[in-house]
Amino acid sequence: MIRNTRMKRFSIVSAVVAAGAMVLSIMPAQAADPGVTATEIKLGVSTPLTGSAGLAYGKVPGAMKAYFDYINANGGVYGRKIKLVVRDDKYLPTLAATQTTNLILKDNVFALVGALGTATHSKAYTAASLAAKNVPDLFVNTGFSGFGNIAKYPTTFTVLPSYAMEAKIMSKFIKEKFAGQAVALVAQDDEFGVDGVNGFKAGGLTIASTTLYPTSSITDARAKALLTGLSAIPGKPVVVLFGTTDVTALIFKAAESLDLVSKFTWIAGSVGGDANTLLALGVKSTTIDGAIAASFFPDAKDTSDEYVSQFMKINEKYNKGISFDNIVLQGMNSAMLTVQALRAAGKNLTRTGLINAVQNKGAKFASAGRVPLNYSATSHVGYNGYWFGQLNAKGELKPYGGTLSIFTTDSAAGAVEASTFTRPAMPKNGIPTNS
Amino acid sequence: MLKFITAVLTSLTTGSIYALMSTALVLVWRSTRVINFAQAGQAVLTTYIGYEVIVRSGSYWVGLIMAIVAGAVIGAAIDRFFMRPIFKRITTGPIVMIAPVVATLGLLGIVQAIIGFKWGLTYQTIAAPVSTDGYRIFGSVIAFSPFNLMVLVCVTITMLLLTLLFQKTNLGLALRASAHSPEIAKLSGIKVDGIRTLGWALAGAAGGLAGMLFVPSTYLYPNAMDVLLVFGFIAAVIGGLDSLFGAVAGAMVLGFAINFTTSYVSSRLVFPTAFIILILVLLIKPAGIFSNKKGRRD
Amino acid sequence: MHNFSATKKRLLLFILFGWLLLLVGDRVGELRQYQGSFVAMYTLAIASIILLTGYSGQLSLGHSALMAVGAYAGALSTNNAHLHPVIALIIATFVAGLFGLILGFGVARLSGPYLAGTTLALAVSLPSLANQFPILGGEQGVAFDVGAPPARFGEDFSQYKWFFWISSLAALIMIWLIANLLSSKYGRSFRAMRDNQVAAQLTGINTGRLKVTAFTISAGMAGLAGGLLVMLISGVSPSAFPLSLSFSLLTGAVVTGVYSLKGVMLGGLVLVAIPEIADSVVNRIGGSEGFTATLPGFLVSALLIAAVLFAPNGPGQLLKKKH
Repeated sequence: MIRNTRMKRFSIVSAVVAAGAMVLSIMPAQAADPGVTATEIKLGVSTPLTGSAGLAYGKVPGAMKAYFDYINANGGVYGRKIKLVVRDDKYLPTLAATQTTNLILKDNVFALVGALGTATHSKAYTAASLAAKNVPDLFVNTGFSGFGNIAKYPTTFTVLPSYAMEAKIMSKFIKEKFAGQAVALVAQDDEFGVDGVNGFKAGGLTIASTTLYPTSSITDARAKALLTGLSAIPGKPVVVLFGTTDVTALIFKAAESLDLVSKFTWIAGSVGGDANTLLALGVKSTTIDGAIAASFFPDAKDTSDEYVSQFMKINEKYNKGISFDNIVLQGMNSAMLTVQALRAAGKNLTRTGLINAVQNKGAKFASAGRVPLNYSATSHVGYNGYWFGQLNAKGELKPYGGTLSIFTTDSAAGAVEASTFTRPAMPKNGIPTNS
Repeated sequence: MLKFITAVLTSLTTGSIYALMSTALVLVWRSTRVINFAQAGQAVLTTYIGYEVIVRSGSYWVGLIMAIVAGAVIGAAIDRFFMRPIFKRITTGPIVMIAPVVATLGLLGIVQAIIGFKWGLTYQTIAAPVSTDGYRIFGSVIAFSPFNLMVLVCVTITMLLLTLLFQKTNLGLALRASAHSPEIAKLSGIKVDGIRTLGWALAGAAGGLAGMLFVPSTYLYPNAMDVLLVFGFIAAVIGGLDSLFGAVAGAMVLGFAINFTTSYVSSRLVFPTAFIILILVLLIKPAGIFSNKKGRRD
Repeated sequence: MHNFSATKKRLLLFILFGWLLLLVGDRVGELRQYQGSFVAMYTLAIASIILLTGYSGQLSLGHSALMAVGAYAGALSTNNAHLHPVIALIIATFVAGLFGLILGFGVARLSGPYLAGTTLALAVSLPSLANQFPILGGEQGVAFDVGAPPARFGEDFSQYKWFFWISSLAALIMIWLIANLLSSKYGRSFRAMRDNQVAAQLTGINTGRLKVTAFTISAGMAGLAGGLLVMLISGVSPSAFPLSLSFSLLTGAVVTGVYSLKGVMLGGLVLVAIPEIADSVVNRIGGSEGFTATLPGFLVSALLIAAVLFAPNGPGQLLKKKH
């Protein structure tokens, strides 16, 4: 985002060098793709930095940048430094369309990485002609399963497991562990919640009460009214919270006020179960103690995890003043996947080469996820599973029942299966050396 | 029964916060005929000031007083340095309605950008000064806590003070006079400009209070008061825009309508409920429930 | 006879301007073509505000909702009914107009702030309303695919140029129609009503009906603009029509000068150019993450305030004063 004059001069010099190299080579096979020079790879992302969504996800691009800076300081990718151009779309479809078009036509980026949001990115993808221009659209941060449709989004690769997968896997988990308890679902009234509702249906879970609320409409008062209503359900109902962390926190605080924390079994979805954020938003540690949360990542507090500890180190040095949490972990992980993809695409970097690299080698990339990546020529879907953990009073997420059990599935009618996946080891010092 | 009681109690707490916001908007509307969209930004900025004071002094109450004072100062400054020059340049026609709206929107953007820069784009929290644990009645905990009671008391006191000011003091008389007919007020020796600025200052103070009473139940961030502004404005329109009593009544109508709809019909209908209530009220009384003017319909 | 020649002159002017746009469109890159399409779309939307506010004296804060109505009608026409995009845009105009008529009967005769409040409430409830109907596609919305440009234009004819042609042509035709309307007896009645409602009534103008008419036409124009917008972003979603869009249009109208359609393109240009300028200023200055994230918002707002502070009646007024 920051383009100082030195950079500019640098890129002019490198452009001249590159042009010279082109002239010298007798027969250039094809015109080079934009955004790649001998010394630089320019990537772009359109994502919310300001506004309400910026509060939740604004840390993603900074985390990606920090990791890229770390790689650049350690020689870059085959000598090329990675530059990330960040544009703010405020989570609005129109801005996402124009900002993504700007990234392609004005900034001339080589590829997109880490775009965020369903309504925003689905519009931006077509508006910026990403398919026609064959622009790789890597590691999109949304749980909307539609981005896995290769016919419609041929250059897109998702990374997060879909909301539908989460709901299906959660259905199985609840049916097995909490049989006999009524289930209440509280979800955001958009594709996030609606995909979830459909996923629970597909998972065959009977839901006693479904509450859908519009984004930004939940207040302390409405959370209390909601919980009072749910408290009429006899026994110890399971309450599934399928929303963002700020809403999860409001509901937890309402439960504290109404002395209803122990009335329910709490299950937070992967989006809203970030313990660090919950505690920072004023939820009591005794409240989250025992709450269940779904995740596909390791616990961002688990310093014994090799990925987490390495990312924490990078965060401390290259992302000063930013606290480490699930969002930072997600950003760094996507950046590390990107570096591996760029390496796998080879020294002669092209857009087609990058897409092929993720398709052919992406499933083997090292990543922090506790569940497998599913990239292949026929699948552009990233993670496809979850594990369940239980929070303790310190906010650490420990595997439910003591042992880590991973479940995988798809976004359609496929069965939920237990998985024995063990992830690849972290590359030494977090610097990939794959090819 | 518990459900019904909860709906009533949550309607009351919601409505009382709307009431402060709608009162702030009515105060400005009465004094300058401007719908002040910067109110959300002003309120959130003063709440950040309150937050800083709380962090430094350790006392919510010091922060509350500072926020109210800061709200008044900022409100007065906006009128003096933005609104007055604009009104000097525009004379008649619809532009009188829309230019100040655009100006206040610009102010809102500036204030939110400053906040984003100064305090970072993350959530902050302000702890409630009294317990937020609900009262226990006949063995069940109700959705009403000492903090909710405090909010209700603060709002009631504010409304009483404002009513006293307007009905019982000379200053109030001047405020009312310049609201209804500025020309006549000017002729009778009232410093209309100063009185207008006072209206903005009072509104700013009310906004600061609203922020400090609202944020402990939620979080502090640049857009924290946006939704509240929308509901406050709708409440003010329901109440007729011109009367303080109407602003409070409109806020309560809206609070009850929204909370009863979400409790008994569907939680998805928060915003449509506001729209439907507004349409219903305006179809029956085109100038709002409590406006003393004759119908504003042709 | 005099009137006829004025109309003829206007038609020539519009054709000339259209031809000019055609030439310009051929000579600029894809990015400018795309931005040009947005200018055309915003210009049309701002014209709908000027007609409503500047000519008939009503204030709407919910034009984004009217745009959304047109947008959904257009998207459903292409995506579900498989109609030609041009027909879809016409449908967008009429459906939004009809919606405006129905709404107008209820609220258009309300005075300033009351109408403002009602339209504002409509705009904020729109996403929730849209989510109630599965056919509208929820948050994901409905695609609006205008299709590739016709083959006879050649291979070099890009998608963005196609957007530019459609948007510019739609805006030109619509604004031409409105300009004709405003120079007719209707236009005079509008202005009479705006300037003095009571006097207008005394001369036999039915101001109530006239306000509903203005609201309906304005809604139709907004609907067309909404259809164009979702064509440009390839689909409609509830979140594509935030309150901030309504506010941007008001801003554009004030910057243009709300009393005249003449400079309306300026408003569209400003809405597209200001964020661009803010972005490039930020890029030049650089700075910390928080600074670069918040500075564009600050600059856009500051320019807005400057515009209103120094030329609340539009730049036309400012020039007039200097002479």
